[in-house]
Amino acid sequence: MPRAQHMHGRLQVAGTLIILGLAVEAACLLSSRPIAFVILASFGSLLISAGVLLFLYALVFLESGNRGGSGPGAPPPRASL
Amino acid sequence: MDGLPFAMPLAAILALILLSALLAGVLVFRPALTVHPGGKILAFGVLFFLPLFCLMAGVDNEMERSKSTSFCLSCHIMEPYGKSLHVDDPSYLAAAHYQNHRVPADQACYTCHTNYAMFGTFKAKLGGLRHIYIHYLKTEPRPEDIQLYEPYNNRECLHCHLGARSFEQGAVHNADPGTLPAVKANKLSCVSSGCHDLVHNVGTLSKVKFWNEGK
Repeated sequence: MPRAQHMHGRLQVAGTLIILGLAVEAACLLSSRPIAFVILASFGSLLISAGVLLFLYALVFLESGNRGGSGPGAPPPRASL
Repeated sequence: MDGLPFAMPLAAILALILLSALLAGVLVFRPALTVHPGGKILAFGVLFFLPLFCLMAGVDNEMERSKSTSFCLSCHIMEPYGKSLHVDDPSYLAAAHYQNHRVPADQACYTCHTNYAMFGTFKAKLGGLRHIYIHYLKTEPRPEDIQLYEPYNNRECLHCHLGARSFEQGAVHNADPGTLPAVKANKLSCVSSGCHDLVHNVGTLSKVKFWNEGK
């Protein structure tokens, strides 16, 4: 799988986790039951944090991999005619 | 816990959550947008900054709401304790404090039952988690059998009463020169040494009159 597609896949998963986390948060904020606080602090924050961390992972590792030409072991640039 | 330096209204938080979810949805369906520099900035805002801000604002809002009297009394088992705040008898400590606004009426439970030491709010929240654990996974006691996890510390009373004329110069407090120092050192309990021991007493609520808040 090309790196760009891999990156896009990670972004989609991160975005989906964040949307789910935000949905949980909205539902908890609208609820008046004390258990909502626990669900927000545990499940909602877990989903959002997982999404954010996955995004950061994709940003740091996959994005830097896309620019792989500048590393010490990278192949030399192809000469143009 | 003070998450945000300002309080955001619930409607604003919900609007922000909706906006964040919509923008995240755009990135889920069009991830190729991140190829362009503008798309990368959008992704950073939508997948990093906005969700964390929404989470902080939401938790902050919930933390504030969890201090309210109505939040504590929303549990069925706490109903008699809420009722005890309306007893028409000034010797009932909790009722006298609530009805005379010696504690904020909208945060009555939290004001007396939080710990005024460092991490007091955090400990109060841990206590709340313990309530939920007992509520869902253990056998709940009857309301009249509920006990504090730890003996009530005079520090919570002295947070307001220390230095007050009625406390420092009260006739009973000064009848014995050893009383005030013992109270201040938490060696003589305000509420369980026979002085102010009529607090909630939910077991006797069927025999008392209730204040109807002037209605």
